[in-house]
Amino acid sequence: MGRRNRAAGLPVMLRPVPKGRPTDEAALTEVRAALGDAPRRRDLLIEHLHAVQESIGYLSLDHLNAVAEDMDLTPAEVYEVATFYHHFDIVGDGEAPPPPLTVRVCDSIACEMAGADELLAALRDALGAGVRVVPAPCIGRCDGAPAALVGARALDRASVDAVQALVDEGVADAALPEYADYEAYRAGGGYDTLRACVEGERSYEDVHAAVRGAGLRGLGGAGFPCARKWGFVRSEPGPRYVALNADEGEPGTFKDRHCMETEPHRVLEGLLIAAWAVEAEGVWIYLRDEYPACREILTLELAALRADPPCALPPIHLRRGAGAYICGEETSLIESLEGKRGEPRLRPPYPAQVGLFGQPTLVHNVETVYWIPEILRRGPEWYSSQGRRGRSGMRFFSVSGRVKEPGVHLAPAGVSARELIDEYAGGMAEGHDFYAFLPGGASGGILPSALGDEPLDFDVLAEHGSFIGSAAIVILSQADTAAAAALNLLRFFRHESCGKCTPCRVGTDKAAGLMARRAEEWNTGLLAELAETMADASICGLGQAAANPIQSVLRFFPQEVGR
Amino acid sequence: MSEVRFTLDGREITAARGETILMAARRAGARIPHLCYADGMRPDGNCRACVVEIDGERVLAPSCCREPAEGMTVHADSARARRSQRMVLELLLADVSAQTYRHDSELAHWARELALGAPRFEARRQPPPDYSHPAIAVRLDACIQCTRCVRACREVQVNDVIGYAGRGAAARIVFDTELPMGESTCVACGECVQACPTGALMPAGVGAEDTPPVAAAEQGKWYGPHRTELRPGAANGTAP
Repeated sequence: MGRRNRAAGLPVMLRPVPKGRPTDEAALTEVRAALGDAPRRRDLLIEHLHAVQESIGYLSLDHLNAVAEDMDLTPAEVYEVATFYHHFDIVGDGEAPPPPLTVRVCDSIACEMAGADELLAALRDALGAGVRVVPAPCIGRCDGAPAALVGARALDRASVDAVQALVDEGVADAALPEYADYEAYRAGGGYDTLRACVEGERSYEDVHAAVRGAGLRGLGGAGFPCARKWGFVRSEPGPRYVALNADEGEPGTFKDRHCMETEPHRVLEGLLIAAWAVEAEGVWIYLRDEYPACREILTLELAALRADPPCALPPIHLRRGAGAYICGEETSLIESLEGKRGEPRLRPPYPAQVGLFGQPTLVHNVETVYWIPEILRRGPEWYSSQGRRGRSGMRFFSVSGRVKEPGVHLAPAGVSARELIDEYAGGMAEGHDFYAFLPGGASGGILPSALGDEPLDFDVLAEHGSFIGSAAIVILSQADTAAAAALNLLRFFRHESCGKCTPCRVGTDKAAGLMARRAEEWNTGLLAELAETMADASICGLGQAAANPIQSVLRFFPQEVGR
Repeated sequence: MSEVRFTLDGREITAARGETILMAARRAGARIPHLCYADGMRPDGNCRACVVEIDGERVLAPSCCREPAEGMTVHADSARARRSQRMVLELLLADVSAQTYRHDSELAHWARELALGAPRFEARRQPPPDYSHPAIAVRLDACIQCTRCVRACREVQVNDVIGYAGRGAAARIVFDTELPMGESTCVACGECVQACPTGALMPAGVGAEDTPPVAAAEQGKWYGPHRTELRPGAANGTAP
């Protein structure tokens, strides 16, 4: 207060003191060394924050200030982006930097059911101060629950001993699974379809008709018909872009990881065919940071592809997320690709009209493009003739929870939850009876086993206030309650809400608070009112779907909750 | 074809091309609550107080960001639209501390207009006041995260001192790298004070500093040790 000089009438802005935090020259030198000669474009801000953090171990305020100076951004712009993403460790003045190794223990639904909370507590005791142990939202290994990431090394059925062994051995790098590499994929006829497209042997009309005939829909969750999306994007003036949504983060979902870790080139060929179909001038792959093995595979295989291309290729950019489920929402993904906070955009306009860098953009899920080369090779009927109960097509179901053989199971559209358990997942786990299931991860609601014979597919679950989404089927037994599952899901949504709109930012927080009470004490009336507004008034699918677990419990499991 | 005719709450009204539902409704005398919208500023559509029901659409739409289409039927005062307008206001009211709640604020205005009672939700933990700046008093315990100050600073004045940091319920207004405002690059233009609809940013020296701080028991940072996440236990009754 003392610096105000009312008597002299001097405007405050004429104070001779330099404004703001001065640049720390040592930090600036470190930042410049970490970034090397990389272009300082705004859209690369998240990549650059990763580079600085990997080089220094964390991000101090001086480093963030230096990044701003070096990239010609303001400190506020850098700070608001860095603090949005959970994987950036921002260290304030006088705060201790995190230890060099971080163990992330997944505490999402399937892992919680498998004892993640106990594992987390035991690891904190056992590992001591030299290792940071943190809970993490779904890391896409629900079939290996409880799962953990020790640095970049994924660990299924994690135990204190197994984590301790990795820590003692100093193992923290990604382990690459066996997969079909570039040579193997080409040897089996891979990329022949792409080459036929690019070199004019197949026409757009022919390819479009095949994808439409197959009835391929977006398998990230929204189920929008693939061929129609192509038509929308292609009809907009160029330049047009394509973004691959490899930010699978829906709790219970791990099928995109399966695609990338088994047949990465099938994904890339499908992506490049889609890019050809909309005459895209650039391709971006947005990969979640929780999949370091996929990042290594894609880096290696993109290099192999570029070194010996089957035909002319558009520029392909691999981008790394930083721990944000919301960036799987397509407009948030686009914001993140532009180097910003992953906040959803209001629609209209749609990404097909105004997308990445303001240009028409086709956004596809990994599994959607995975099917394209096979559909074009075998014909649309091969895909569309699959299906049960009058439904058409097929897809990967991520099955987890109380079953004998959790995993990614390829099954026809319209298969039922009970069939998935009995025919594909080896039956219920020993001593467990089928009580309830999540048909679409955290977002699709919770259904009772009485609906276990309903077809699982797009559209058909709407009458139950539910949807299949990314086909993440989590099976609950008598050992679980729907109310406890719903609380886990609401805590997940609270953790992952971007904070932009009131119904989601405040709503998920208040809902999780109300649901943390004993189930018999839930204020069901207030929760129902709150859920309606979250579903009706949130900007994007995250906040809208966050109401589903609440509404499911109130509708199908009223015996579990009070008032 | 420079005008669009549409129906609002049973009345046919017209909007100029490019005009939003909220603007057209306001000219027609309809009262739709709104907080993150302010004249002269880019609409952001984040507060959701102005949501309306549009026939044929699955969810409600923010009237501040949506242009009417010819023949569209819009309900701003239907039971469904009003329930969400009221719930949004109730959620925001719950998190503004009693000490900083101003009866002449825009939030209070709309709460009266829609006859809201006491909010039924527990409040968040509140941040401490920041009186470091010679001209501006900062009381984020009154902040509703509408980002009008961010847009005022970044887009109107092009100073870009104010940012929106953190995520989810830990999302918060910051100055530069979350410095006390008086140590930031703020040039004291006052645009953010003009923009704030709740009094979270006030002129210094006119009494804001005399406002009692919230009780220590209700105080606490929203964010955890590394600033990206909600601090465990910061939310009401949900410490893990």
